[in-house]
Amino acid sequence: MTLRTSIPSLLREARNRGALSQRALADFAGTAQSVVGRIEAGLTSPTVETVSQLFEAAGFDLKMEIVPRQTVDPVIEAYKPGIDRTLLVENLRRSVDERLRINAEVQLFGNELRRAMRVAEGTP
Amino acid sequence: MIGLQRFLDALHKHHVEFIVIGGIAARVHGSARITQDVDVVYGRSDENVARIVKALAPFKPFLRGAPPDLPFEWSVRTVKAGLNFTLRTTIGDIDILGEVTGGGRYEDLVAHTVTVDALGHPTFVVNLEWLIRLKRAAGRPRDLEAIAELELLQELGAKKS
Repeated sequence: MTLRTSIPSLLREARNRGALSQRALADFAGTAQSVVGRIEAGLTSPTVETVSQLFEAAGFDLKMEIVPRQTVDPVIEAYKPGIDRTLLVENLRRSVDERLRINAEVQLFGNELRRAMRVAEGTP
Repeated sequence: MIGLQRFLDALHKHHVEFIVIGGIAARVHGSARITQDVDVVYGRSDENVARIVKALAPFKPFLRGAPPDLPFEWSVRTVKAGLNFTLRTTIGDIDILGEVTGGGRYEDLVAHTVTVDALGHPTFVVNLEWLIRLKRAAGRPRDLEAIAELELLQELGAKKS
């Protein structure tokens, strides 16, 4: 979600969490109800100052951060069909401890296989 | 193989500030991939460096891949002089990172963790979104399939909630 598309829903959420009508929020922020309505409807691109005032009036601070742009990587997408989702669903049903213990058990099994392979090959 | 129980016991016993990342974090989030080592980001304060040195000392840490005759002293001085260490220990391979690409230092990353009860200890684990970011930032070809799996876990989690 981009800043442009998230402002309307975030403002609506802030207003709802503050139990405010559009008019009440506008009054607190010293602006008109139509301004709030147009922003929530995504019909206008408000300035940072206007947005900040509205969030503050609703009792919130709007915190922004920069994040690396999430792009669709075709290589990563190409891997997805080959991943067994049933294993993931099964894992999600397990507790964290179970997930970690299974990791340890499979590691042990792998080590044992490698040891057996070395014995079979006569290597130390 | 990682003696994860002993590792977590030791770090918690000495009150080390650390965040689990990497393959173990992926397992915690539901990954089906098996990991051979444990990666943690540790706080770089003097106190915390002293704690992690003390906690890991019984496991005789040595630089992984280094010649056996290389002089290496596991000490506060050594850890303070370096930043990221890939270690071989008596309980398995452990990477302790003072800073991680895409995630910064402990203080930067701690805001992007979840606390999970792991083997009897409340433990900071990097959250799924940031685990994906770290793996993307690392830019290693071998992580691509892991990222695909983590993104599927994210989708499954989103559907569940």
